[in-house]
Amino acid sequence: MRRLPLLGIWLALLLALTLVLAACGEEEEPAAGPEPTAAATGFPVTVTRSDGRELTIAEAPQRIASLSPAATEVLYAVGAGPQIVATDLQSDYPAEAANTTRLDAYQPNLEAIAAVEADLIIVATNQDDIVQALDGLGETVLFRDMPESIDGVMEQVRLLASATGHAEEGERLAEEMEGRIEAVTGKLADVEEGPRIYHELDNTFFTVAPNSFVGDFYNLLKARNIAEGAATAYPQFSQEEILDRDPEVIILADADAGESAQTVKARPGWGVISAVKNDRIYVIDPDIVSRPSPRVVDGLEQLARLLYPEKFP
Amino acid sequence: MRRVQTFPVPDLHADALAGEEAFALPGVRSLRVPLLLALVAVLATVLVGASQGSVDIPFTTVVRILVSKVLGLGSATWPDTWEEIVWQIRLPRVLLAGLVGATLAFSGAGYQGILRNPLADPYLIGVAAGAGLGATIVLVSPVPYAFGTLSLLPPAAFAGAVLAVSISYGLARSGGVAPNVTLILAGVAVSAAATSAMTFLIMANHQRAVTVLSWLLGGFNTATWQKVGIVLPYSLVGGAAVLASARILNVLQLDEEEAQQLGVPVERVKLLVIVAASLATAAAVSVSGLIGFVGLIVPHTVRLLWGFDYRRLVPMSMAVGAVFLILADLAARSVLSPSEVPVGVVTALCGAPFFLWLLRRHRRAVF
Repeated sequence: MRRLPLLGIWLALLLALTLVLAACGEEEEPAAGPEPTAAATGFPVTVTRSDGRELTIAEAPQRIASLSPAATEVLYAVGAGPQIVATDLQSDYPAEAANTTRLDAYQPNLEAIAAVEADLIIVATNQDDIVQALDGLGETVLFRDMPESIDGVMEQVRLLASATGHAEEGERLAEEMEGRIEAVTGKLADVEEGPRIYHELDNTFFTVAPNSFVGDFYNLLKARNIAEGAATAYPQFSQEEILDRDPEVIILADADAGESAQTVKARPGWGVISAVKNDRIYVIDPDIVSRPSPRVVDGLEQLARLLYPEKFP
Repeated sequence: MRRVQTFPVPDLHADALAGEEAFALPGVRSLRVPLLLALVAVLATVLVGASQGSVDIPFTTVVRILVSKVLGLGSATWPDTWEEIVWQIRLPRVLLAGLVGATLAFSGAGYQGILRNPLADPYLIGVAAGAGLGATIVLVSPVPYAFGTLSLLPPAAFAGAVLAVSISYGLARSGGVAPNVTLILAGVAVSAAATSAMTFLIMANHQRAVTVLSWLLGGFNTATWQKVGIVLPYSLVGGAAVLASARILNVLQLDEEEAQQLGVPVERVKLLVIVAASLATAAAVSVSGLIGFVGLIVPHTVRLLWGFDYRRLVPMSMAVGAVFLILADLAARSVLSPSEVPVGVVTALCGAPFFLWLLRRHRRAVF
């Protein structure tokens, strides 16, 4: 009998919790969608998804959810920003993305994604079979793997732009990117072999091989990647191998973990490396060289200036 | 309460045992020759480890570099790069692997002896999970974890390990005693809590997941003399403490109550061995990550080969642990050269079949 009051308290608490949750739920009702943008032409658009399925988008989407930071950047760049209602937690560029409903792309919550009532959901990684789960709910899911080369980024820009009703802007952006890339590679036409580089992902010496997305920057820049011939795209190297292959330039993508030119110079044994002797250790923002977004051209131009200061004053 | 395992009583099991000295407790003098041989084997393995690697340096050159560095003899006729590779990269790496291997092995032997449990390894009562949580907190925090050559990682992992073991022991202890089963259960619970906290942190900060996982998998790719210096004092003191407890560990295998009646300060020795083994393991883990299998299997291998006497078991475990981990690391940096393979993969992949083979061959009680 003495249990009864306790039970009563529990029930009251439970009821209160339910009410609070219901109130919160109401607050999180999807906000009214943006005003339909100028009637986009070219619809219906049909694209082939990465799982081989054909997806037909009947008309210009007005409520887009992007579960890929790279796609988010592309959408804002082609003017689809006003149509975006939700982005994933990793979408940190441009800053406006943070004002949309935030979703988790790594541990996707099916209910949360469905709740934003998007008419187009862009997925780059089929985490936990989220694509099939969303298909099952009858959602329109544009599932495209990340491009694996820099050329692939322009293709992605065109595709995402036309799928969201911005084919023209997409074409303009892609052409501008291609123009800037050609301007860089054009200046390197007479380069036979660029400097030997080591691109550091973290301080346990994970690096990028030429067949990786990041490695493609160095391929375009004619640099000789010391990780050539590695078994995987993102191999972990032995220190002795780095010393032996003697990079002339070291690019640090792990500055956020505290690495810098000073810490590299202080590493025991690294004093024999040309890049250390000649003070050619540089930091780069990993996002602009690892995320297949329109900013890859910024990354390419930055790396070009670091590798060939004489050609890019 | 049923005892998990005890030291086999000679007259019951003698017939099942091969080898005349399996249970004879040899005097200190009879330990000399095997220990001397073990020392030679360790030194030879260090030399092999230092002379092999993905970069091809002739053996004689490696020896000449070592001689010139250690004794100051001879002049440098080799490229600077080779000298740096041998002296700054390979030798600290080999020594660190040996030191960590020895530490995990004697700690495992100590834990198995003191808890009288054949499944005990140095990670059992919280070292691994505590160190993992400590390291993860540093790795996922927005604060940079490296300042010049100083890194917050080792102290954080060390603190996490010591804290987790202290909690396990504190929870298990009541009325001045920490019963083995209670201690193990407390350790399992503390480990589970720390592991889930760690998993949560990794999932919530998955942009750092690869860094954390690569630390957890363990390895010696970032070995330096500094790291050797961090582990060495803990290994020496911890190893000496476990060695000094060897005779009492022998007695403890009979029966804890009996030992108590014989005047053995069971609880004090238990605390000493746990503190010594945990501190040494925490130091090892803090610089090399979690390398599985060594602390569990090496002491058992030594038992199969050289018997149950802890006065021999502890030092031989140190030697075998050192040799095993140096060779495993050599494989880790050679098989996929120029890339690395996590050393924990090698220890389990090569160690497990070898141990099973040994087990089949001897077919005797392991513990």
